[in-house]
Formats: sequence, C-alpha cells, structure tokens
Amino acid sequence: MSANNDSIQKTLIVAVLLCLVCSVIVAGAAVSLKPLQQANKTEDMKKNILAAAGLLDSSKSVTEQFEQVTTRIVNLEEGRFATEAEVNDIKKLMGLNDISKFDQRKASQMPELSDKLAGSEDPASIKRRSKYAAVYLVQEGDQLEKLILPIHGYGLWSTLYGFIALKGDLETIAGLGFYEHGETPGLGGEVDNPLWKAKWVGKELHNEQGKLAIEVIKGEAPRDSEHKVDGLSGATLTSRGVNNLVRYWVGEQAFGTLLNQMKSQGA
Amino acid sequence: MGLRSTFDNMAPHFEKGGKYEKLYPLYEAVDTGLFHPPNVTNNTSHVRDGIDLKRIMITVWICTFPAMFFGMYNIGLQANEAIAAGAGTAIEGWREMLIALLGGGGHNPASFWDNFAFGAAYFLPVYAVTFAVGGFWEVLFAVVRKHEVNEGFFVTSVLFALILPPSIPLWQVALGISFGVVIGKEIFGGTGKNFLNPALTGRAFLFFAYPADLSGNSVWTAVDGFSGATPLSNAQEGGVQAIIDGGVTWFDAFFGTIQGSMGETSTLAILLAGVVLMGMGIASWRIVLGVFVGMVATTWLFNFIGSDTNPLFAVPWYWHLVIGGFAFGMIFMATDPVSASMTNTGKFYFGALIGLMVIMIRVANPAYPEGMMLAILFANLFAPLIDHFVVQSNIKRRVARVS
Amino acid sequence: MSEIKNVLTEPLFNKNPIALQILGICSALAVTTSLQVTLVMCLAVIAVTSFSNVGVSLIRNHIPNNIRIIVQMIIIASLVIVVDQVLKAFAYEISKQLSVFVGLIITNCIVMGRAEAFAMKNGPVLSFFDGVGNGLGYSVVLIVVATIRELFGAGKLLGVEILPLVTDGGWYQSNGLLLLPPSAFFIIGLFIWALRSWKKDQVEEPDFKILPNTEHSGGH
Repeated sequence: MSANNDSIQKTLIVAVLLCLVCSVIVAGAAVSLKPLQQANKTEDMKKNILAAAGLLDSSKSVTEQFEQVTTRIVNLEEGRFATEAEVNDIKKLMGLNDISKFDQRKASQMPELSDKLAGSEDPASIKRRSKYAAVYLVQEGDQLEKLILPIHGYGLWSTLYGFIALKGDLETIAGLGFYEHGETPGLGGEVDNPLWKAKWVGKELHNEQGKLAIEVIKGEAPRDSEHKVDGLSGATLTSRGVNNLVRYWVGEQAFGTLLNQMKSQGA
Repeated sequence: MGLRSTFDNMAPHFEKGGKYEKLYPLYEAVDTGLFHPPNVTNNTSHVRDGIDLKRIMITVWICTFPAMFFGMYNIGLQANEAIAAGAGTAIEGWREMLIALLGGGGHNPASFWDNFAFGAAYFLPVYAVTFAVGGFWEVLFAVVRKHEVNEGFFVTSVLFALILPPSIPLWQVALGISFGVVIGKEIFGGTGKNFLNPALTGRAFLFFAYPADLSGNSVWTAVDGFSGATPLSNAQEGGVQAIIDGGVTWFDAFFGTIQGSMGETSTLAILLAGVVLMGMGIASWRIVLGVFVGMVATTWLFNFIGSDTNPLFAVPWYWHLVIGGFAFGMIFMATDPVSASMTNTGKFYFGALIGLMVIMIRVANPAYPEGMMLAILFANLFAPLIDHFVVQSNIKRRVARVS
Repeated sequence: MSEIKNVLTEPLFNKNPIALQILGICSALAVTTSLQVTLVMCLAVIAVTSFSNVGVSLIRNHIPNNIRIIVQMIIIASLVIVVDQVLKAFAYEISKQLSVFVGLIITNCIVMGRAEAFAMKNGPVLSFFDGVGNGLGYSVVLIVVATIRELFGAGKLLGVEILPLVTDGGWYQSNGLLLLPPSAFFIIGLFIWALRSWKKDQVEEPDFKILPNTEHSGGH
C-alpha cells in the first residue's frame, strides 16, 4: 500500500484534498469569529482609556461606562478639533467606518497621516507623529467633566503608551496611566504602581505665570507641591522618559494649543 | 604533635566504614586546614609545590583585608557624615546596639573608632550570614556528593560580602550566596568545574531580583532618609564635572572615601593587594594587564568619538579606574583561576574582553551605571572559547613547523 | 484500556517532553509570568497536540512518505490558527498577553514530534490520548514554573494576592528576576534536577569522567 502512496498521482490528490479541508476549516473559524473578535478589540481599547484615566469601575460593563464618553478627532498641527472633511479623509485612508476606532499608532506609521519629527522637536523620542489624535470627552450634561488625552513616548527600554485625564478646568490632572510598556519590572515597571499613579491626581499643569510646570523630579517631591511628582526610585531614565512625554503631549507642540483654545471658549 | 595524634586517632571514625563517614568532608577540611595534606601523586613524575590550593585561597583571603578594613571605616565615615550633616538619621535597631557595644555610638565622622565600629556593625553581620549560609551549602554538597569542602569558599564568601552595598537586608545576603554557591558552582560539580565566578553569580542574582536594594542612590549609605549618588551615577548625569561637583576629587576616589559597595571603594587598598597577589603568582598579571589595557583602549575610543548627549563618553580612563567596582573586579574577580581563561595568551584576550565590556556597559548602556559585574560574567562565558582558539592556533603553528 | 492509561501518564514524569527530551522550552520562557496565561497556553497546546495527532493518525495510511512532514505541518498549522482565532474571540485579554506564542505552537517541537513519532504508527484513539498525555506533560512543567514565577515574582496566584507586596504596603518584597524570562531557565533546570534525582534512570551517561590524580596514602 505504501508503494501506492508514493505515486505522483496519490501525492497530488492527498495534497490538494488536505489543503482544501484545512483551508475550509481555517476560513470558517476566521469568518465566524470575526465579529466577536472585533467587539473584543473595541472593548479592550475603551477599557484601556477608562482604566488609564482612573475612571474604570469594574462593577459596571465597559460599554455602559463608555456611553458618557465622546470621541473627538484633533488636528494636532493646528490645535483644533478636526473638520468633517478631515474626518472623512481619515476614514477613507484608514478604511474605517466608525471614527471612534481611529488608531493613532497605525496612523503614525502612515506617511499621509503623519510627520517625521526632527530631533529638537521630539523630546519624547516618538520619531513620527500622527497628524491627528483621538481625544475623549467625558461630559455630564453640557458640562465637560474630564478630557482624556492619549500620550506616548520612550522610557528606558520601550515606548510607553498611556492616557492622561484632565479635570473640567483642563488644568488639574485627574489620572494618568500606561497600558503598554516594557520597562524593568520592579524599577521602571513601577509606573503601573497605583500608589505612584495616585501621586499625579490633583497636580496642575501650569504655574501661576502660565508656564508649563508639571514635572517628574528625581527623588521625592515636596509634599505640598502643585506641579512636581516623585521620580520612581532606581529608575531615573524611565522617570525622565515619563517627564518628557507628559510635558511634550500637554505642551505647546502637541495638545497645548487645543487646551488653551478650549479654555478660552469655556471662559 | 599532640594535635596531630588527636586527628590521627579520630581519622578512622570519619574514613570509609567509620561511624561518622558522612561527615568526612568536615573532618578533612579542618585537618588539612591545619596540616599539610597527606596526598601523594600516583602517576608520572611531577614537581610538587608547598603552596597548594588551600594556601592560595588563604592568601587571597588575607589580601582582601586592607580593602575590607578600609571598607568598614568608610561605611561608617559615609554614614556618620550624613548623620552629622543632618541629611539622615541612624537606623534604630539591633545594629545601633551592636555599634554601641563596640564602643562607637557617637556618630562622629571625625572619630576613627566611631566610623570603624559603625562599619563593622554593618559589614560583619553580612559576612557572617554569607559565611554561615554559604558554608552550609558547601558542607551539604560535600557530604552528599562525597567530595571535599573546598577552601575556595573562603574567598567566595569574603568577595561576595565585599561587593554588596552596606544597607543590604540580611535575608537577601542569604539568598544571594545560596544562589551563587548552588547555581553558580555546585550544580556543575563544585570548585574547579564552575564556569562562572560564584560570588558574582550571587550578586547578579540579587541585582536582577531586587534591583531597588542593589542600585539607585539610597542604598550606598546605611542611614535612613539619605540618598547619595555614587560617583559613577553622577558621571552618568554630567561626566567628571558632576563627580567633582558631588564633592569627590580623584584622590578621594583613589583612597576610597566615596559611596559604593562595602569593599570596592578604595582603589589604593585593592591595588596593594593586587601587587602582593601578582608578586606571589597567585593572581595572573596577564589578566590584570589585559583588563587594564582593554579598559584604557576602549575609553580612548569613546573619548575620541565624543558625544553631545552622553557625558560618559568624555570620562577619562584614570577616572574609570577609581570609580565603581573596576579595581576590585580587576584584581579579585577577573583573576579567579577557575572561571578565567587557562592559556597564557588566552588570559590577555580574556582580560581585554572584560576591559572592553565594562566600558561599553558603563558608557553606552543607560540602564546599568556599573558594568564590572556583567563584564566579568560575560567574559567568563567566553573563557573556554578563547582557550579553544588559542590551543587550536598553537596546534596549527606546530603542525606547520613540522610539515 | 491500560494502553490508554499508559500513553496518558507516561509523559507526565517518566517521559516528560520538556524534562527528558528538552523539547518545547521556548514558549516555557515567554508565557510563564502569570499562571492564568500559562493555563490557557497549556490548554491550547493540549488541544493542538491531541487533535493534530488524531488528524495525522486518521490519514496516516494515505500520507505519501515524501511529503509527510509537510502534511503534518499543514494539519498542525491549521489547528493552531483555529485555536488562535478562538482565543481572540473568547479570551481576548489572555490572547493579547500570549501574543505570538500561540502562533508559535506551530514550531513547538512536541507537537511535530508526537505526530511523527506516534500518530504515524497508531490508531486515532490512542493517538488522541497520546497527544493529551504529552500536552499534560508539557503543562506540568509550565504550571510549576508559572506558579513559582507568579507567586514569588508578583506575590499573586491567578491574579489573587497571596503575598502582599512591599510596594503596595505589604511585607513581601517581590523577586524581579522571576519576572524576567531567564528565570524560567533556572526553574526548569532545577525541575529537571529534582526529577532526575527522583527517577535515576533519566540521568544521562557523562561524556567524560575525570580520574583522580592523587591517592590518599592513609597516614602522615
């Protein structure tokens, strides 16, 4: 029998049949599970946003909690919300049907949607920056409760991805957190420590003169400091990275213009 | 010969078939520690030297004393200066009592005895734990594996204790030396078969397991609430200028009144020991030379390349020599006869590899300010390969000569 | 029946694929920082080994000899993709942590090894249990490694706090080395050491033996 098996005819038949059967199984699984997978992916992103901003309440469903959140696209270069036309452009370029699925990381890899940053304008070492970013507004009635901004930048070993949440005055920090990084466990990895994250809450971005003053310092910050956050002990470079990236994203080069504009409109 | 005959009378109990057969390694260790071992070589002709492994190890052990005693003084000096300046408070507890017991409770940085007692109260418990825990593993393996307790452990234990920061918790000391002895040495068959330096293996374990207790700025001075950077981490911030701004001159670093691990700060004391060890032929001068030349050459290379953003590029070689664990590693760790290369030519390459790696890690790697430990462990891995190539090229050369 | 029991239990300790044959340790390094992720990985490997064994065994009499490895690969790869898709649909969080390592089950030598060495020669039922057995053998080691790593590295088991960490106000100082991949090597090494001390027949013959060059004269 085995002699038969090795004939060219038999080999071809077995190969073709096997490939057919396997491709049907694989394709079937991929197609039938796709909706579930996409739902998971969106929910995961929503969860990251809520968790990083310190809003996640594990007793309620993520979708429910996210209902109070509106996604808006921001034109980073001009510091304003994107126009209808721009949103449509992005949808077309990225193949999205819903703009709330905007993926900034993917956009920053696309030449049409991103800019290369020169060394001097890139303190957070992100190399390429997307022209647009999705920000999340938490509203209660007409009142802006919180604004959640995506942030990322280089620490010691890896790029840290996270969110920073500001209170309605767009000045006080309501929360900060990273959902992805590869820093050393126990040292830089302590950016995930809830005790450290809690230190950010209540700090203010600018000082009385209106200068950007939020800062991660080396060692312990004075207790009543409004702008300084403790550095992570033994993780000078991760702390410096976090300092750079936070200052970069809330600063003039990124969301700063938008924040100013929103503040003046609110006033 | 009263003692000798006591030993001889006891011997049958410990030898095969005796009551305490299992404890033979312990008996052997004490006996040959005091007397010349009775072994004779049973194959072809040989020259036998009076200095055997046991004497070599004891010599190395004694040679660590200058660094050790200076280290104890310096631990106290650093801590008492911090306390006197009001930058920190003494850690209350049994160690304070121990210091008082030794007669040094004044915390006066100008008093030699206050400093020394303080240092002793920090170093000696660390050393005692190292010795007890490491010794326990040594004897356990010796009994189970039926080999002799090796005096190499004398050296391993003191070196391990000397390269720890003074504020290290004692349970970490126990864990570190256990890892060093068991994983670094015994599982490969004990002394002579380990390819890594056991003391450094133990420290590397602690370094990666409990980084907060082995790196950073708050572990080098044993007082509460004080944080003082080592000259190396200052150099990372701003080069030589930052070291000097930190109040450390080159001579401070050379004499050793700086922050650092317990026994590694005084380059002077270490070099003194190095001269003795190399003079006696115990430490290989080839390795030491290799490390030194490798370090100087790599530093020159970095000095030459230069960098705007990384101030370490510009640090000259004579600073690298006196800061961090470079001198200690060069004299005591790199020359470990078991884990280094065996061939004479290989020793140069082995040393040079360490010198190259230490500067690479110090200068080019932002995460680890100190590179000596990792450089030596790295070179340990390459030692057999280096020897292999040296032997092969010798064979080739000789074959060519014949044909 | 005893045959089935045999193929199920033998790979646990006597012929453990990781400890004795040193197969499939790549994923053991990457996925063992938390027990939960490890358990899912183990299930995935068990599913793939057992069903690929069944698949290969069913058509073993029709597989042309010169393309048999490719045939096995296709079956294994299809199963792995299906498993990956299922995980993404039903256990998204964990599949994110497993990332590429589910896909890399394809290259896990245990799966190939069992398909080639066992399923090609035995019936589907027996092959199925052989797959499960070997998957379990892999799991035993991974679970041991993951338990140690998560408990002593993060003070938790299955995400539940067991040893409260110093950084969270507790007393246990976590061992950072255990959160780094090399620690899995140490633990697997120690596991093999323990196993071979227990089952002496697994110890390999030494390649070299060092003869003593001195002898004890017995006197002074």
